[in-house]
Amino acid sequence: MLKSLTRAVSIAARLTNKAPSVSVCRATEPLVRSVLCAPTSATTRPFTRSIWLMCGNNGAASDRRAKLLGSKHTLPSCGCGGLHTEGDKAFVEFLSDEIKEEKKIQKSKTLPKMSGGWELELNGTEAKLTRFISGEKVTVTFNVNNSIPPNMEEEPEQGQKSEDNEPDVVSTPNFVIEVTKQGAKNSLVFDCHYPEDEIGHGEGEDESEIFTIREVSFQPEGDEDWKETSYTLNTDSLDWALYDHLMDFLADRGVDNTFADELIELSTALEHQEYIKFLEDLNGFIKCQ
Amino acid sequence: MVVLLRNLQNVVPIRRARLRKDVETLKRILGVQRFDVGIVCVDNRKIQHINNIYRKKNMPTDVLSFPFYEDLRPGKLPCALHGDEYNLGDIFLGVEYVMQQCQERSWDFHGTLTVVAAHGICHLLGYRHETEEEWDEILYGIQVRRVGWPIKHSNTMLSKPVTRSFGTVGRCQVLLEKELGISIKLVSRWKHEVL
Repeated sequence: MLKSLTRAVSIAARLTNKAPSVSVCRATEPLVRSVLCAPTSATTRPFTRSIWLMCGNNGAASDRRAKLLGSKHTLPSCGCGGLHTEGDKAFVEFLSDEIKEEKKIQKSKTLPKMSGGWELELNGTEAKLTRFISGEKVTVTFNVNNSIPPNMEEEPEQGQKSEDNEPDVVSTPNFVIEVTKQGAKNSLVFDCHYPEDEIGHGEGEDESEIFTIREVSFQPEGDEDWKETSYTLNTDSLDWALYDHLMDFLADRGVDNTFADELIELSTALEHQEYIKFLEDLNGFIKCQ
Repeated sequence: MVVLLRNLQNVVPIRRARLRKDVETLKRILGVQRFDVGIVCVDNRKIQHINNIYRKKNMPTDVLSFPFYEDLRPGKLPCALHGDEYNLGDIFLGVEYVMQQCQERSWDFHGTLTVVAAHGICHLLGYRHETEEEWDEILYGIQVRRVGWPIKHSNTMLSKPVTRSFGTVGRCQVLLEKELGISIKLVSRWKHEVL
Protein backbone atom coordinates (compact mmCIF):
# COMPACT_ATOMS: atom_id res chain seq x y z
CA MET A 1 0.00 0.00 0.00
CA LEU A 2 2.73 2.33 1.05
CA LYS A 3 4.75 1.23 -1.90
CA SER A 4 1.91 1.83 -4.29
CA LEU A 5 1.22 5.21 -2.73
CA THR A 6 4.84 6.27 -3.19
CA ARG A 7 4.67 5.13 -6.77
CA ALA A 8 1.41 7.00 -7.30
CA VAL A 9 2.96 10.20 -5.94
CA SER A 10 6.00 9.71 -8.09
CA ILE A 11 3.90 9.24 -11.21
CA ALA A 12 1.82 12.26 -10.26
CA ALA A 13 4.95 14.32 -9.86
CA ARG A 14 6.27 13.25 -13.24
CA LEU A 15 2.95 14.03 -14.85
CA THR A 16 2.95 17.42 -13.16
CA ASN A 17 6.42 18.16 -14.49
CA LYS A 18 5.31 17.43 -18.01
CA ALA A 19 2.29 19.69 -17.75
CA PRO A 20 2.58 22.52 -20.25
CA SER A 21 1.75 25.30 -17.83
CA VAL A 22 4.60 24.37 -15.55
CA SER A 23 7.19 23.85 -18.26
CA VAL A 24 6.42 27.20 -19.87
CA CYS A 25 6.98 29.05 -16.66
CA ARG A 26 10.18 27.31 -15.91
CA ALA A 27 11.46 27.51 -19.43
CA THR A 28 10.80 31.22 -19.76
CA GLU A 29 12.55 32.28 -16.61
CA PRO A 30 16.12 31.31 -17.50
CA LEU A 31 15.71 32.64 -21.01
CA VAL A 32 14.66 36.03 -19.74
CA ARG A 33 17.55 35.91 -17.37
CA SER A 34 19.92 35.08 -20.15
CA VAL A 35 18.70 38.02 -22.17
CA LEU A 36 18.96 40.44 -19.31
CA CYS A 37 22.28 39.11 -18.09
CA ALA A 38 23.87 38.79 -21.47
CA PRO A 39 27.25 37.23 -20.66
CA THR A 40 26.39 33.63 -20.00
CA SER A 41 28.53 31.65 -17.67
CA ALA A 42 29.60 28.07 -17.97
CA THR A 43 27.41 27.12 -15.06
CA THR A 44 24.20 28.34 -16.67
CA ARG A 45 24.85 26.70 -20.01
CA PRO A 46 23.85 23.07 -19.13
CA PHE A 47 20.79 24.30 -17.27
CA THR A 48 19.62 26.36 -20.16
CA ARG A 49 20.23 23.57 -22.57
CA SER A 50 18.24 21.09 -20.34
CA ILE A 51 15.30 23.48 -20.28
CA TRP A 52 15.29 23.54 -24.09
CA LEU A 53 15.24 19.79 -24.09
CA MET A 54 12.45 19.71 -21.51
CA CYS A 55 10.37 22.00 -23.66
CA GLY A 56 10.29 19.24 -26.22
CA ASN A 57 7.60 19.36 -28.85
CA ASN A 58 4.80 20.74 -26.78
CA GLY A 59 2.57 23.00 -28.86
CA ALA A 60 2.27 26.35 -27.07
CA ALA A 61 5.65 26.10 -25.43
CA SER A 62 7.27 25.29 -28.74
CA ASP A 63 5.74 28.42 -30.33
CA ARG A 64 7.01 30.63 -27.59
CA ARG A 65 10.42 29.05 -27.81
CA ALA A 66 10.49 29.80 -31.52
CA LYS A 67 9.79 33.46 -30.76
CA LEU A 68 12.45 33.55 -28.14
CA LEU A 69 14.94 31.98 -30.49
CA GLY A 70 14.17 34.75 -32.90
CA SER A 71 16.32 37.04 -30.75
CA LYS A 72 19.92 37.59 -31.81
CA HIS A 73 21.37 35.29 -29.26
CA THR A 74 22.52 31.84 -30.13
CA LEU A 75 24.53 29.43 -28.19
CA PRO A 76 28.25 29.75 -27.64
CA SER A 77 29.91 27.18 -29.79
CA CYS A 78 33.64 27.43 -29.32
CA GLY A 79 33.94 27.16 -25.60
CA CYS A 80 35.78 30.46 -25.31
CA GLY A 81 33.39 31.84 -22.77
CA GLY A 82 32.35 34.71 -25.03
CA LEU A 83 29.01 35.46 -26.56
CA HIS A 84 28.46 34.44 -30.18
CA THR A 85 25.51 35.87 -32.01
CA GLU A 86 24.21 35.84 -35.54
CA GLY A 87 25.36 39.46 -35.62
CA ASP A 88 28.86 38.38 -34.74
CA LYS A 89 28.82 35.83 -37.54
CA ALA A 90 27.73 38.45 -40.05
CA PHE A 91 30.33 40.83 -38.64
CA VAL A 92 33.12 38.30 -39.13
CA GLU A 93 32.00 37.66 -42.71
CA PHE A 94 31.93 41.38 -43.37
CA LEU A 95 35.39 41.84 -41.87
CA SER A 96 36.85 38.98 -43.90
CA ASP A 97 35.55 40.58 -47.11
CA GLU A 98 36.77 44.00 -46.03
CA ILE A 99 40.26 42.69 -45.24
CA LYS A 100 40.38 40.95 -48.62
CA GLU A 101 39.37 44.16 -50.39
CA GLU A 102 41.79 46.31 -48.44
CA LYS A 103 44.65 43.93 -49.14
CA LYS A 104 43.73 43.99 -52.81
CA ILE A 105 44.08 47.77 -52.98
CA GLN A 106 47.19 47.86 -50.80
CA LYS A 107 49.94 49.10 -53.09
CA SER A 108 52.77 47.38 -51.30
CA LYS A 109 53.26 45.48 -48.10
CA THR A 110 56.41 47.43 -47.42
CA LEU A 111 56.37 51.10 -46.59
CA PRO A 112 57.70 53.57 -49.17
CA LYS A 113 61.20 54.88 -48.57
CA MET A 114 61.80 58.55 -47.95
CA SER A 115 64.47 60.04 -50.15
CA GLY A 116 67.30 61.93 -48.49
CA GLY A 117 68.65 59.29 -46.13
CA TRP A 118 65.92 59.40 -43.51
CA GLU A 119 65.80 56.44 -41.14
CA LEU A 120 62.37 55.24 -40.13
CA GLU A 121 61.49 53.99 -36.66
CA LEU A 122 57.98 52.77 -35.89
CA ASN A 123 56.13 52.52 -32.63
CA GLY A 124 52.57 51.44 -33.38
CA THR A 125 50.87 54.30 -35.14
CA GLU A 126 53.73 56.66 -34.43
CA ALA A 127 56.58 57.07 -36.88
CA LYS A 128 59.88 58.81 -36.36
CA LEU A 129 62.19 59.82 -39.18
CA THR A 130 65.76 60.68 -38.30
CA ARG A 131 68.51 62.22 -40.35
CA PHE A 132 71.98 63.46 -39.47
CA ILE A 133 73.37 66.32 -41.46
CA SER A 134 76.75 67.90 -40.68
CA GLY A 135 76.57 67.26 -36.97
CA GLU A 136 72.93 68.22 -36.69
CA LYS A 137 70.21 65.75 -35.89
CA VAL A 138 66.84 66.26 -37.51
CA THR A 139 63.87 64.18 -36.42
CA VAL A 140 60.35 64.26 -37.78
CA THR A 141 57.61 62.61 -35.75
CA PHE A 142 54.02 61.95 -36.71
CA ASN A 143 51.11 59.77 -35.70
CA VAL A 144 48.72 58.31 -38.25
CA ASN A 145 45.78 58.31 -35.84
CA ASN A 146 43.16 60.86 -36.88
CA SER A 147 45.28 61.85 -39.85
CA ILE A 148 42.66 61.45 -42.56
CA PRO A 149 40.80 64.68 -43.15
CA PRO A 150 37.03 64.51 -43.63
CA ASN A 151 36.01 63.96 -47.22
CA MET A 152 35.06 67.32 -48.66
CA GLU A 153 34.41 66.06 -52.16
CA GLU A 154 31.07 66.82 -53.75
CA GLU A 155 28.52 64.09 -54.34
CA PRO A 156 29.09 62.27 -57.65
CA GLU A 157 26.81 63.27 -60.46
CA GLN A 158 23.87 61.09 -61.30
CA GLY A 159 24.63 58.20 -63.59
CA GLN A 160 28.21 57.98 -62.50
CA LYS A 161 29.29 55.03 -60.49
CA SER A 162 30.31 56.11 -57.06
CA GLU A 163 33.11 53.56 -57.00
CA ASP A 164 34.78 55.22 -59.96
CA ASN A 165 34.73 58.56 -58.22
CA GLU A 166 35.71 57.35 -54.82
CA PRO A 167 38.52 59.61 -53.69
CA ASP A 168 41.71 58.05 -52.44
CA VAL A 169 42.13 58.03 -48.72
CA VAL A 170 45.09 60.24 -47.96
CA SER A 171 46.71 60.57 -44.59
CA THR A 172 47.99 64.05 -43.83
CA PRO A 173 49.22 64.01 -40.25
CA ASN A 174 50.49 66.93 -38.27
CA PHE A 175 54.21 66.46 -37.85
CA VAL A 176 56.82 67.77 -35.48
CA ILE A 177 60.34 68.56 -36.62
CA GLU A 178 63.10 68.67 -34.07
CA VAL A 179 66.48 70.13 -35.02
CA THR A 180 69.25 69.44 -32.54
CA LYS A 181 72.68 71.00 -32.79
CA GLN A 182 75.68 69.44 -31.11
CA GLY A 183 76.26 70.87 -27.66
CA ALA A 184 73.04 72.87 -27.64
CA LYS A 185 70.85 72.60 -24.56
CA ASN A 186 67.57 72.77 -26.42
CA SER A 187 66.27 71.64 -29.76
CA LEU A 188 64.43 73.90 -32.13
CA VAL A 189 61.01 72.37 -32.61
CA PHE A 190 58.57 73.09 -35.43
CA ASP A 191 54.93 72.06 -35.28
CA CYS A 192 53.80 71.63 -38.88
CA HIS A 193 50.62 70.64 -40.63
CA TYR A 194 49.00 70.19 -44.01
CA PRO A 195 46.40 72.89 -44.64
CA GLU A 196 43.09 71.16 -45.30
CA ASP A 197 41.99 73.17 -48.31
CA GLU A 198 45.06 71.96 -50.20
CA ILE A 199 44.16 68.32 -49.99
CA GLY A 200 42.11 66.70 -52.69
CA HIS A 201 41.43 69.82 -54.71
CA GLY A 202 44.15 69.25 -57.26
CA GLU A 203 43.28 71.62 -60.05
CA GLY A 204 42.08 74.71 -58.23
CA GLU A 205 44.11 77.88 -58.49
CA ASP A 206 43.56 79.27 -55.05
CA GLU A 207 45.51 76.81 -53.02
CA SER A 208 47.49 76.80 -49.86
CA GLU A 209 51.04 75.73 -49.32
CA ILE A 210 51.74 71.99 -49.31
CA PHE A 211 52.68 72.26 -45.65
CA THR A 212 52.96 75.10 -43.21
CA ILE A 213 54.69 75.77 -39.91
CA ARG A 214 52.19 76.43 -37.14
CA GLU A 215 54.41 76.94 -34.12
CA VAL A 216 58.10 77.14 -33.32
CA SER A 217 59.67 76.72 -29.93
CA PHE A 218 62.80 75.68 -28.10
CA GLN A 219 62.26 72.43 -26.23
CA PRO A 220 64.52 70.09 -24.25
CA GLU A 221 65.84 67.46 -26.64
CA GLY A 222 63.76 64.31 -26.96
CA ASP A 223 61.02 65.44 -24.59
CA GLU A 224 57.68 64.05 -25.66
CA ASP A 225 55.63 66.71 -23.93
CA TRP A 226 55.58 70.24 -25.16
CA LYS A 227 57.00 72.44 -22.41
CA GLU A 228 54.42 75.16 -22.06
CA THR A 229 56.79 77.50 -20.28
CA SER A 230 59.00 77.81 -23.37
CA TYR A 231 58.12 80.73 -25.58
CA THR A 232 56.12 79.50 -28.54
CA LEU A 233 56.19 81.45 -31.75
CA ASN A 234 52.85 81.30 -33.48
CA THR A 235 53.12 81.81 -37.21
CA ASP A 236 49.61 83.27 -37.60
CA SER A 237 50.84 86.77 -36.90
CA LEU A 238 54.44 86.31 -37.88
CA ASP A 239 56.55 88.59 -40.02
CA TRP A 240 56.51 87.06 -43.51
CA ALA A 241 60.24 87.35 -43.99
CA LEU A 242 60.91 85.50 -40.74
CA TYR A 243 58.49 82.79 -41.80
CA ASP A 244 60.31 82.42 -45.14
CA HIS A 245 63.66 82.15 -43.39
CA LEU A 246 62.25 79.40 -41.17
CA MET A 247 60.97 77.55 -44.24
CA ASP A 248 64.35 77.94 -45.95
CA PHE A 249 66.03 76.70 -42.76
CA LEU A 250 63.91 73.55 -42.91
CA ALA A 251 64.48 73.11 -46.64
CA ASP A 252 68.25 73.18 -46.03
CA ARG A 253 67.74 70.29 -43.61
CA GLY A 254 65.73 68.25 -46.07
CA VAL A 255 62.23 69.25 -45.01
CA ASP A 256 60.73 70.85 -48.10
CA ASN A 257 57.71 70.30 -50.34
CA THR A 258 59.22 67.10 -51.77
CA PHE A 259 59.68 65.77 -48.26
CA ALA A 260 56.13 66.79 -47.32
CA ASP A 261 54.71 64.96 -50.35
CA GLU A 262 56.75 61.85 -49.55
CA LEU A 263 55.60 62.02 -45.95
CA ILE A 264 51.98 61.91 -47.16
CA GLU A 265 52.78 58.75 -49.13
CA LEU A 266 54.52 57.16 -46.16
CA SER A 267 51.79 58.12 -43.73
CA THR A 268 49.05 56.94 -46.08
CA ALA A 269 50.76 53.55 -46.49
CA LEU A 270 51.35 53.24 -42.74
CA GLU A 271 47.79 54.24 -41.94
CA HIS A 272 46.49 51.67 -44.39
CA GLN A 273 48.77 49.01 -42.94
CA GLU A 274 47.56 49.82 -39.43
CA TYR A 275 43.95 49.82 -40.60
CA ILE A 276 44.30 46.33 -42.08
CA LYS A 277 46.02 45.15 -38.91
CA PHE A 278 43.18 46.61 -36.86
CA LEU A 279 40.59 44.85 -39.02
CA GLU A 280 42.45 41.56 -38.60
CA ASP A 281 42.64 42.06 -34.84
CA LEU A 282 38.96 42.95 -34.77
CA ASN A 283 38.14 39.85 -36.82
CA GLY A 284 40.12 37.68 -34.45
CA PHE A 285 38.51 39.30 -31.43
CA ILE A 286 34.99 38.72 -32.70
CA LYS A 287 35.86 35.13 -33.57
CA CYS A 288 37.53 34.70 -30.14
CA GLN A 289 40.78 33.57 -31.70
CA MET B 1 52.62 96.32 -48.50
CA VAL B 2 52.64 92.57 -48.34
CA VAL B 3 54.17 90.06 -50.69
CA LEU B 4 52.04 86.97 -50.32
CA LEU B 5 54.29 84.11 -51.32
CA ARG B 6 53.09 80.58 -51.97
CA ASN B 7 55.13 77.68 -53.19
CA LEU B 8 52.75 75.04 -54.51
CA GLN B 9 55.25 72.78 -56.22
CA ASN B 10 57.99 70.37 -55.30
CA VAL B 11 59.97 70.22 -58.54
CA VAL B 12 62.27 73.19 -57.97
CA PRO B 13 63.67 74.20 -54.58
CA ILE B 14 62.78 77.84 -53.96
CA ARG B 15 64.68 80.20 -51.68
CA ARG B 16 61.65 81.91 -50.29
CA ALA B 17 63.41 84.61 -48.29
CA ARG B 18 65.43 85.71 -51.31
CA LEU B 19 62.46 85.74 -53.65
CA ARG B 20 60.43 87.80 -51.18
CA LYS B 21 63.26 90.26 -50.65
CA ASP B 22 63.77 90.67 -54.38
CA VAL B 23 60.08 91.22 -55.04
CA GLU B 24 59.89 93.75 -52.22
CA THR B 25 62.89 95.55 -53.71
CA LEU B 26 61.21 95.52 -57.13
CA LYS B 27 58.06 97.00 -55.64
CA ARG B 28 60.07 99.75 -54.01
CA ILE B 29 61.94 100.50 -57.24
CA LEU B 30 58.68 100.64 -59.15
CA GLY B 31 57.08 102.88 -56.53
CA VAL B 32 54.36 100.44 -55.56
CA GLN B 33 55.62 99.38 -52.16
CA ARG B 34 52.26 100.28 -50.61
CA PHE B 35 50.51 97.63 -52.69
CA ASP B 36 50.10 93.95 -51.97
CA VAL B 37 51.14 91.42 -54.55
CA GLY B 38 50.70 87.66 -54.65
CA ILE B 39 53.51 85.44 -55.94
CA VAL B 40 52.58 81.83 -56.56
CA CYS B 41 55.26 79.33 -57.60
CA VAL B 42 53.88 76.45 -59.64
CA ASP B 43 55.20 73.59 -61.75
CA ASN B 44 54.73 72.98 -65.48
CA ARG B 45 51.57 70.94 -65.04
CA LYS B 46 49.87 73.65 -63.04
CA ILE B 47 50.85 76.61 -65.15
CA GLN B 48 49.89 74.71 -68.29
CA HIS B 49 46.49 74.10 -66.75
CA ILE B 50 46.02 77.78 -65.92
CA ASN B 51 47.39 78.83 -69.31
CA ASN B 52 44.88 76.56 -70.98
CA ILE B 53 41.95 77.83 -68.95
CA TYR B 54 42.63 81.56 -69.31
CA ARG B 55 44.49 81.80 -72.59
CA LYS B 56 43.46 78.61 -74.38
CA LYS B 57 47.14 77.78 -74.75
CA ASN B 58 47.72 74.26 -73.61
CA MET B 59 51.41 74.58 -72.83
CA PRO B 60 53.56 75.55 -69.88
CA THR B 61 54.95 79.07 -69.68
CA ASP B 62 57.16 81.16 -67.43
CA VAL B 63 54.78 83.70 -65.91
CA LEU B 64 51.11 84.57 -65.92
CA SER B 65 49.91 87.81 -64.38
CA PHE B 66 46.45 88.46 -63.02
CA PRO B 67 46.14 92.20 -62.43
CA PHE B 68 43.80 93.55 -59.78
CA TYR B 69 43.36 96.67 -61.94
CA GLU B 70 42.57 95.29 -65.34
CA ASP B 71 42.27 98.56 -67.24
CA LEU B 72 45.32 100.27 -65.83
CA ARG B 73 47.14 102.56 -68.19
CA PRO B 74 50.84 101.80 -68.35
CA GLY B 75 52.81 104.29 -66.32
CA LYS B 76 49.85 105.27 -64.14
CA LEU B 77 49.77 104.08 -60.59
CA PRO B 78 46.48 102.61 -59.41
CA CYS B 79 44.28 105.00 -57.42
CA ALA B 80 43.52 102.97 -54.35
CA LEU B 81 40.98 104.46 -51.97
CA HIS B 82 40.54 101.73 -49.42
CA GLY B 83 42.86 99.20 -47.81
CA ASP B 84 41.57 96.33 -49.92
CA GLU B 85 42.35 98.24 -53.09
CA TYR B 86 46.06 98.44 -52.33
CA ASN B 87 46.51 95.29 -54.29
CA LEU B 88 48.29 94.80 -57.60
CA GLY B 89 47.13 91.24 -58.22
CA ASP B 90 48.79 87.87 -58.50
CA ILE B 91 51.70 86.51 -60.47
CA PHE B 92 52.03 82.80 -61.18
CA LEU B 93 55.66 81.90 -61.71
CA GLY B 94 56.24 78.76 -63.75
CA VAL B 95 59.36 77.92 -61.79
CA GLU B 96 59.89 74.55 -63.45
CA TYR B 97 59.72 76.17 -66.88
CA VAL B 98 62.12 78.92 -65.79
CA MET B 99 64.48 76.36 -64.32
CA GLN B 100 64.53 74.44 -67.60
CA GLN B 101 65.37 77.61 -69.48
CA CYS B 102 68.13 78.43 -67.02
CA GLN B 103 69.62 74.98 -67.35
CA GLU B 104 69.64 75.27 -71.15
CA ARG B 105 71.36 78.66 -71.02
CA SER B 106 73.46 78.19 -67.87
CA TRP B 107 71.75 81.12 -66.15
CA ASP B 108 71.46 81.66 -62.42
CA PHE B 109 68.01 80.44 -61.47
CA HIS B 110 67.09 82.79 -58.64
CA GLY B 111 68.43 85.83 -60.46
CA THR B 112 66.37 84.85 -63.48
CA LEU B 113 63.32 84.26 -61.32
CA THR B 114 63.57 87.84 -60.08
CA VAL B 115 63.67 89.02 -63.68
CA VAL B 116 60.58 86.99 -64.48
CA ALA B 117 58.87 88.37 -61.38
CA ALA B 118 59.77 91.92 -62.47
CA HIS B 119 58.24 91.19 -65.83
CA GLY B 120 55.11 89.90 -64.15
CA ILE B 121 54.83 93.02 -61.98
CA CYS B 122 55.11 95.17 -65.12
CA HIS B 123 52.06 93.36 -66.44
CA LEU B 124 50.22 94.00 -63.19
CA LEU B 125 50.97 97.70 -63.73
CA GLY B 126 49.30 97.69 -67.10
CA TYR B 127 52.22 97.13 -69.42
CA ARG B 128 51.54 94.93 -72.44
CA HIS B 129 53.73 93.70 -75.23
CA GLU B 130 51.35 92.79 -77.97
CA THR B 131 53.13 95.34 -80.19
CA GLU B 132 56.70 96.55 -80.35
CA GLU B 133 55.61 99.92 -79.01
CA GLU B 134 53.98 98.37 -76.03
CA TRP B 135 57.03 96.26 -75.51
CA ASP B 136 59.30 99.28 -75.47
CA GLU B 137 56.93 101.02 -73.10
CA ILE B 138 57.70 98.54 -70.38
CA LEU B 139 61.25 99.76 -70.27
CA TYR B 140 60.31 103.40 -70.76
CA GLY B 141 57.57 103.37 -68.15
CA ILE B 142 59.81 101.92 -65.52
CA GLN B 143 62.52 104.43 -66.22
CA VAL B 144 60.34 107.51 -66.27
CA ARG B 145 58.64 106.64 -63.04
CA ARG B 146 61.78 106.12 -61.05
CA VAL B 147 64.34 108.36 -62.66
CA GLY B 148 62.79 111.66 -61.79
CA TRP B 149 63.82 113.03 -65.15
CA PRO B 150 62.54 111.44 -68.31
CA ILE B 151 65.00 109.52 -70.33
CA LYS B 152 64.27 109.19 -73.97
CA HIS B 153 63.92 105.59 -74.83
CA SER B 154 64.56 103.96 -78.11
CA ASN B 155 64.42 100.51 -79.53
CA THR B 156 68.16 100.37 -79.60
CA MET B 157 68.26 100.79 -75.86
CA LEU B 158 66.81 97.33 -75.46
CA SER B 159 69.70 95.76 -77.22
CA LYS B 160 72.40 97.95 -75.72
CA PRO B 161 74.33 96.64 -72.81
CA VAL B 162 73.36 98.46 -69.65
CA THR B 163 76.05 100.67 -68.27
CA ARG B 164 76.48 101.60 -64.67
CA SER B 165 76.74 105.31 -65.23
CA PHE B 166 74.02 107.49 -63.74
CA GLY B 167 74.39 109.91 -66.56
CA THR B 168 73.45 107.56 -69.31
CA VAL B 169 70.95 105.18 -67.85
CA GLY B 170 67.90 105.50 -65.67
CA ARG B 171 68.05 105.34 -61.93
CA CYS B 172 65.76 102.40 -62.06
CA GLN B 173 68.29 100.47 -64.07
CA VAL B 174 70.98 101.31 -61.58
CA LEU B 175 68.78 100.22 -58.70
CA LEU B 176 67.94 97.00 -60.43
CA GLU B 177 71.58 96.41 -61.11
CA LYS B 178 72.79 97.37 -57.68
CA GLU B 179 70.08 95.88 -55.54
CA LEU B 180 69.02 92.88 -57.52
CA GLY B 181 71.89 92.23 -59.86
CA ILE B 182 69.56 92.33 -62.88
CA SER B 183 69.22 94.73 -65.74
CA ILE B 184 66.15 96.10 -67.45
CA LYS B 185 67.47 94.41 -70.53
CA LEU B 186 66.85 91.15 -68.79
CA VAL B 187 63.39 92.19 -67.65
CA SER B 188 62.41 93.20 -71.12
CA ARG B 189 63.90 90.07 -72.64
CA TRP B 190 61.10 88.17 -71.03
CA LYS B 191 58.80 88.63 -73.96
CA HIS B 192 55.82 86.40 -73.66
CA GLU B 193 52.35 86.11 -72.29
CA VAL B 194 50.07 88.66 -70.74
CA LEU B 195 46.59 88.24 -69.37
